[in-house]
Amino acid sequence: MNFAKPIPVKNQDNHPYWDAADRHELVVQKCQSCGEYAHPPGPSCAKCGSSELSWENFGNDINGTVYSFIVSYRAFLPGFQDDLPLIIAIVELEDAPQVKIIGNILDCSPKCVEIGMKVKMTWKQLSDDRAIPQWIQV
Amino acid sequence: MGNIKDRYAIVGVGESERSKNSGTTPLHLALDAARAALNDAGLTAKDIDGVMNYSENDSCTSHQLATYLGVRPKYVKDILGGGSSTEMLIADAIGLIETGQLNTVLIYRSMNGRSGVRMGGGNWDMNMLQNVIEGGSYIIPYGAGAPSQWFGLFASRHMYETGLTKEHLGHVCVSFYEHAQRNPKAFFYGKPLTMEEYLQTPELTSPFNKHDCCLESDEANAIIVTSAERAKDCKSKPVYIMGISARQCISHAHYWSNLSEVASDYVAKDIYQKAGVSPADIQVASIYDCFSWVVLRQLEAYGLAPRGEVGDFVATGNLKMGGRLPTNTAGGMLSEGYTHGMNNVLEIVRQIRHEYGDTDRQVKNCEIGICTGWAGPDIAGAMILRN
Ligand SMILES: [Zn+2]
Repeated sequence: MNFAKPIPVKNQDNHPYWDAADRHELVVQKCQSCGEYAHPPGPSCAKCGSSELSWENFGNDINGTVYSFIVSYRAFLPGFQDDLPLIIAIVELEDAPQVKIIGNILDCSPKCVEIGMKVKMTWKQLSDDRAIPQWIQV
Repeated sequence: MGNIKDRYAIVGVGESERSKNSGTTPLHLALDAARAALNDAGLTAKDIDGVMNYSENDSCTSHQLATYLGVRPKYVKDILGGGSSTEMLIADAIGLIETGQLNTVLIYRSMNGRSGVRMGGGNWDMNMLQNVIEGGSYIIPYGAGAPSQWFGLFASRHMYETGLTKEHLGHVCVSFYEHAQRNPKAFFYGKPLTMEEYLQTPELTSPFNKHDCCLESDEANAIIVTSAERAKDCKSKPVYIMGISARQCISHAHYWSNLSEVASDYVAKDIYQKAGVSPADIQVASIYDCFSWVVLRQLEAYGLAPRGEVGDFVATGNLKMGGRLPTNTAGGMLSEGYTHGMNNVLEIVRQIRHEYGDTDRQVKNCEIGICTGWAGPDIAGAMILRN
């Protein structure tokens, strides 16, 4: 059986992020009151409670560093059984280290991945109009 | 509310049968556990005027339980919750007794955790899952839908920062499985685990293999809380609450952005201050163990072993009987059973009462113990108990 992978569900709070991902760009929510980034985004700032939020566009040339990772040898969700072993990583953005994004590191052997490794964002099409950011080793 | 130190006690504990397929409902299991706890305390259901429970929508209600115990309590309360909810409900019970609203409260957790709704899950609707998990759309499309994966991300970073190794995780598992061999009611009774076997077991999700993950079981547990004055009338030996801190949250909702901060760090400060003791005074422990690694991180948080030395602490056998801090002495959730933390509460109460007498299950001369709850890095609860 071949199950399709889950596609990000857009909602009131996150749709600017996923709309940008569909255009192959990264946008991150930022609080105008305390100046902190908020990721994942929310209805107001999780650091100070302010509702004055905006979106900062980082474009499509995004670099980062592996902050933590795991290698999954079992597919816990449908659609991933052909991707095992699956590397799931938390990546710290080079231009905004407070922001950490969870994603997969693609085309990489589990033996090669390590904390501190440099990675670059790439966008994977899930359908004609939907895409998600992923990471590849630099 | 003033200082509650030593003014409230756990006076009854009880459990249902434990199995992988109970063939019955959470209501039946809860009734068995509640009756066992009442019997332990030497109370009747009429003595209970408050009933509380927590669940993940996988249990019966407090109202149902009271109904079939044949009583009409003043107060029933059902909350959604996981690890740390036991401590929260005990704290709530104390508040209600302190303000004169209730006298004696029964708290339970009942679940068909294996044959019914399984925490490890599967068969969830992917869109629903993204909506119910905070920030779900940022993890589910990446295949990160299992607690073992989320906790693995915390563990990997913490191990990297502190030098903890896979073998250190193994010492937690091996120690707890050793305890289970003295506990005929433990799931893994008769199934000891050696370090060689542990290290050879293939990983499910790095750094965890199946031994690092809590088991899933069908069972119910119940505990009874009352005031120190009323405890004198109970049949059992009361275990007094020296300090309790329930559900101290960390500062942000999306906890995976800061893996170095856990709620236990804050709870620890609070309970030692309230109890008026230090980590050196603790002689027995029940540490929430949904995964092996969370035990190590909590030993650090509660000052039971300094950051950077936790690995050596467990490697030298300190979690075992005869060690510095015998921990999860019935086997814990890794090898005894899983009721979202409550089975670990039952065990520490029995240890502090010296209920196992002269057997090799009893931690010798233990007077003061710690019991911790953990609902992921963001929420924790803990209490310090004495005989
Ligand atoms: Zn803010």
